[in-house]
Amino acid sequence: MQDTTPQKARKKPFLPPQFVRAMLAGHSALGIAFAALIYIVCLSGTVVVFLHELQRWEQPNAPVVEQPLSPEAVATALKNAYQKALAANAVHDMFLMGPGPIQKRFLVSFHDHETGGEGNWIADQTGTLVAENKAPWSEFLGDLHMHLHLPRTWGMFLVGLTGVALLSSLVSGLLSHPRLFKDAFYLRWGGSRRLQEADLHNRLGVWGLPFHVVVSTTGALLGLSTLIVGVLALAAYDGDSEKAFATILGPHASEDETAAPLPDIAAMIRQIQAKTPDAEFVSANLSHVAHAGQIIHLGMRTPGHLAMSNTYYFDGNAKPLGDGGLETGSIGKQILGALQPLHFGWFGGFLVKVAYGILGLALTIVTHTGITIWLSRRRDAGRPAPHWEKVWSGVTWSQPFAFATTALAVFTVGEAYAIPTYIVTLVACIAGALFASEARIAGRLIRLLTGTAILAAVGLHASKWSGSMTDEVALVIAATFAATGVAFVVSALRPHFARAAASA
Amino acid sequence: MSLDTLDQTLPLALAGGLLLTAGVVLLRRRWLQKRSGGLAFLIGGWLAVISGFYVFARAWGAEMGTTYALGAVSTAAYALIGSTYERRVSKQRGPRESAFDPEDRPTNWRRGIAKSLLAIVLSGIAAIGVGVALAIYLPLPPADRAVIGGLLVPILWGGGMAWTLCDPRLVRATIILLSVSALGYGIAFLPKVL
Repeated sequence: MQDTTPQKARKKPFLPPQFVRAMLAGHSALGIAFAALIYIVCLSGTVVVFLHELQRWEQPNAPVVEQPLSPEAVATALKNAYQKALAANAVHDMFLMGPGPIQKRFLVSFHDHETGGEGNWIADQTGTLVAENKAPWSEFLGDLHMHLHLPRTWGMFLVGLTGVALLSSLVSGLLSHPRLFKDAFYLRWGGSRRLQEADLHNRLGVWGLPFHVVVSTTGALLGLSTLIVGVLALAAYDGDSEKAFATILGPHASEDETAAPLPDIAAMIRQIQAKTPDAEFVSANLSHVAHAGQIIHLGMRTPGHLAMSNTYYFDGNAKPLGDGGLETGSIGKQILGALQPLHFGWFGGFLVKVAYGILGLALTIVTHTGITIWLSRRRDAGRPAPHWEKVWSGVTWSQPFAFATTALAVFTVGEAYAIPTYIVTLVACIAGALFASEARIAGRLIRLLTGTAILAAVGLHASKWSGSMTDEVALVIAATFAATGVAFVVSALRPHFARAAASA
Repeated sequence: MSLDTLDQTLPLALAGGLLLTAGVVLLRRRWLQKRSGGLAFLIGGWLAVISGFYVFARAWGAEMGTTYALGAVSTAAYALIGSTYERRVSKQRGPRESAFDPEDRPTNWRRGIAKSLLAIVLSGIAAIGVGVALAIYLPLPPADRAVIGGLLVPILWGGGMAWTLCDPRLVRATIILLSVSALGYGIAFLPKVL
């Protein structure tokens, strides 16, 4: 956090000035080192909160399932998916995800890591597979947030480290803010740019602190889990990471490859519902499906819990093997169940997602203003860094622009061009910004291009799906994108309009 | 959620939302009074916030209600601050506006790299060592201690990073982080070595 403190001496400062200055130095160093990564992860994370809605926008003619699924519908979907997997030579692991508060589709997927075969389908209320699940742009955004499109293990580690850096920034920011309470409600706009940005940085940072701490801690843990469990395995499980993971995530399939019938998943669901009548099907993860060693992790949710579901373990004969305790188990198990929902805002429904969107955007702004404060401070001290100002403007505005250009690329030339388009957009924005006369001119130009690209993407999508759009959520998303595009264009052109009006 | 449940939840949610908003508004009233009193606003504000948490917990249960209330306080404060922002004339400065600057430290590339290694690498190694030691020896069931030990890693790592970067003495930070690492891994791996 940036501090705005009177220089007149106080009787008993809550935090000694020397300590505050030292903390502020650490806060600045950390922020400068990690700002771009934190910014990209925060902005993409804010968008990914709405991942399921974006998927519905990308494929607006696929069925939406509003009611909980019957056990028979789940069994039908499993059977149908198994037939598809056989045809695709991809019978190994299968995953079914039913509708719930966070998403309204019945999704079925399968893959075999040995053959490389896979399939992703959308089923209707009866379990009939009606369309292939294809949302490459949403997938691109999700992967950007989770591993920055780097090799998965390294990318997740880097994102986890970014989460640690963000958490550390929150700690040092809080400790370098002795006027936490005295400035609690100030937002002064105009005047000194540095102090305006400091007010915004501090207010958004402090009042959103519970959210910021939760998403950075959970994100760091999710990203670093492989590393942590790896060391844990070395220390306590003879280096066997799978065994260590099994302690946390439940039993995994054995290597017995003898053929076996498909598991009776309907019977498993009914077993759970006999004990817990209000439990609803959420997901099923089947490992080594149709083999003697198969294991089924059945996710069933009951209302009133942060966890997406509790996981019940079964063998291939529908014999129960215990449960994960994610909803009502011990504290560690409940924390485990809450990690992902708390990180993504995937609990409670759409209003929670909107709140996460607002708070995520706030964290993104906090990251952005952290650097602009540093740059303003240098300018105020007579040491301006115009090249860094332009680079930061390029980085900041390249992201929404790159999201829009990747959408255009996916819609026109195909998903294979998403990553190259993202990289080219990022590099072009930074390089282009360096050639601009001022950082704000560069920012304005990129915003204009962003608005235009968003509107073009919305137009392309509308023309592609004209007349076949059956999902009303897709219309809401399209309208939101269009409004965002207009907002970008207006924000870019407003100074131009103001000057024209003044000279008229 | 059935209609009956919704009938009970909706009024409670509205009441909780109003209480939390009122709490933030009252705390701002107290803040506006600065040092000249306003204790009633302070007490009333915190009471309203606590009541809001309680009502949300009644509406959705402690687990969901507390989470919702935390989010609601943040968004209510954002809305209030956004709606009461102060427009200032350019270049106008008040006495309180001269800000603390970060400590001016002599630095060079070698020192920068050493600091980065301490803050990113050695803090991480120490945090993972302590987290794994706790994941093995906490007096809890295996899954619980693994999750709690794991959760402590980013927290310890983040704290270590913040402390290392603010401490100007590199040697002190190095010695402490090396000691913590040795202790953590020593405890975690000792039974394997013996």
